[in-house]
Amino acid sequence: MDDVVCSGCSLLCDDVSAEVSGKSVSSLGLCKLGHTHLEKVVMLKSESIEKKLEKAVDILLNAKNLLIYGWTHTTDEEVQEGLKLAEMTNGHFSSSTNLGPWQAMLHSIHSEGLAIDLEYVRNNGEFIIYWGSDPSESLHRHSSRFAVLPRGQKIPEGVESRTIGVVDVRKTETMKMANHRLIIPAGADAELLDVILSELEGKSVVKDKVLGIPGSELIGFVNGLRKSDCTVIFYGSGVINSGKYDSNLSGISKLIKAIRKTGKEAYALPMFVEPNTMGVIKAISQEEDDALQRMASGEFDVALIVSDDVLANLPNIAAKALARMQTVYVGLSGGFTDTKAKVSIHTNDPITAGLGTMTRVDMKEISFKKWKTRKEHSTIRDVLLKMQDIIRGKKA
Amino acid sequence: MAFATKLALGDVSPDDCPPLLEPEFKKNLDKIREMVAPLLSAEATGIKLDEDKCTGCNNCVVVCPVDVAAEPPTSEGRAAMSTDTVFRIENGVSKIINLEKCRRFPPDRLNCRVCEQYCCTDAIEIW
Repeated sequence: MDDVVCSGCSLLCDDVSAEVSGKSVSSLGLCKLGHTHLEKVVMLKSESIEKKLEKAVDILLNAKNLLIYGWTHTTDEEVQEGLKLAEMTNGHFSSSTNLGPWQAMLHSIHSEGLAIDLEYVRNNGEFIIYWGSDPSESLHRHSSRFAVLPRGQKIPEGVESRTIGVVDVRKTETMKMANHRLIIPAGADAELLDVILSELEGKSVVKDKVLGIPGSELIGFVNGLRKSDCTVIFYGSGVINSGKYDSNLSGISKLIKAIRKTGKEAYALPMFVEPNTMGVIKAISQEEDDALQRMASGEFDVALIVSDDVLANLPNIAAKALARMQTVYVGLSGGFTDTKAKVSIHTNDPITAGLGTMTRVDMKEISFKKWKTRKEHSTIRDVLLKMQDIIRGKKA
Repeated sequence: MAFATKLALGDVSPDDCPPLLEPEFKKNLDKIREMVAPLLSAEATGIKLDEDKCTGCNNCVVVCPVDVAAEPPTSEGRAAMSTDTVFRIENGVSKIINLEKCRRFPPDRLNCRVCEQYCCTDAIEIW
């Protein structure tokens, strides 16, 4: 087996190995998500892309108002080529990070970036809180690799040295290993944060049930915060996609500041799922991005979608508008966006290409490893470079 | 009582008790056979692993004390790569590759349940 880097989710696991023999895939250490992703990539049928490239470029150059969208499954290098293509075609570059992650990273809670990485959490994180995030469903190895189970420098007993809290609107699988399970009504995050903050500041506001949570449970949770030398809150889509991301993140930010005032460490880290969400956010400018609104209002007539099944994930009104546009799709085969596209150019994936760099959910850059597998497909970078060449030729 | 304990541990079967085989105890024998049937279907350790429920999260690998001793990097969250561990994630799901190394395996039969305790999807059950 060869060492590989998985591009199945934003953890970009680099301690795994795999082997491909014909259409058969064997792996060690890859979770179900990663193994399934690798199997899908290996099943790709090879195809000639030259004619499709010409047709795709014609569509892009004839656009009145071009949107270049997607990107969270591409490498950092491919994002750079996408930005160049946008410049050459006068297209509007945007990405599916604007469905929550982008807004979260612009929030003041991350005004100084992410203060720590996941290795720091493994070595120091004492009170781990999953708030509106469920690694058991989306980032399978988050708990075992970094946040809950592993031993670290100041965590000699692994999970026995940590306290785990989960806050969610429903009972989640992650709650099985939690010491504190807080189930709250949808949209009540900011209210709960206020209560926790007041209790932490010694105002003794918790008498009876709060938001359906028994008072004793909530006091236990706050005591956990007081005792912990290093608290890490992993917030997820429940926080950023509930329609109240600003007040939710502000509440978490206030709580972190209050804990730090007591001389203890406290941090907030995101739980974005798509593999290179952070790479895209890092690459694009800090200006406000209104692409979703413009998409929904029908402002764009053509879209180049790169390696993201955006039709499956966009809000209804934007998805309907996108479905009405002429679209060119570049990326792995499969999904609504691929099926609906006027031209689809299927590419390899970084997991098998073994080329390029992605940025992990904690902003750490992870380079893909070269290994022995079929590589007859072009990468997205190859396709983007060829598109740029054709455009140069046509303009000359 | 000693026989009952051995029965619960899987060291003996109901048929090993001669009086139970006598015709007047047939009802009792049938009842006891029914009671121990789940034990007989479980592995020697009582661990049952449902691969359909498993997400390959590696929790069992990292939390298993035998795995940590056999391949120390697993204690820091790394995936098991050797053939020395009890659990290893193969093709996206957990596999028990060395059942005889499990602390529950005879003759030690320690009452260790950490893999079941931290399996979030209930793919691991201990009878």
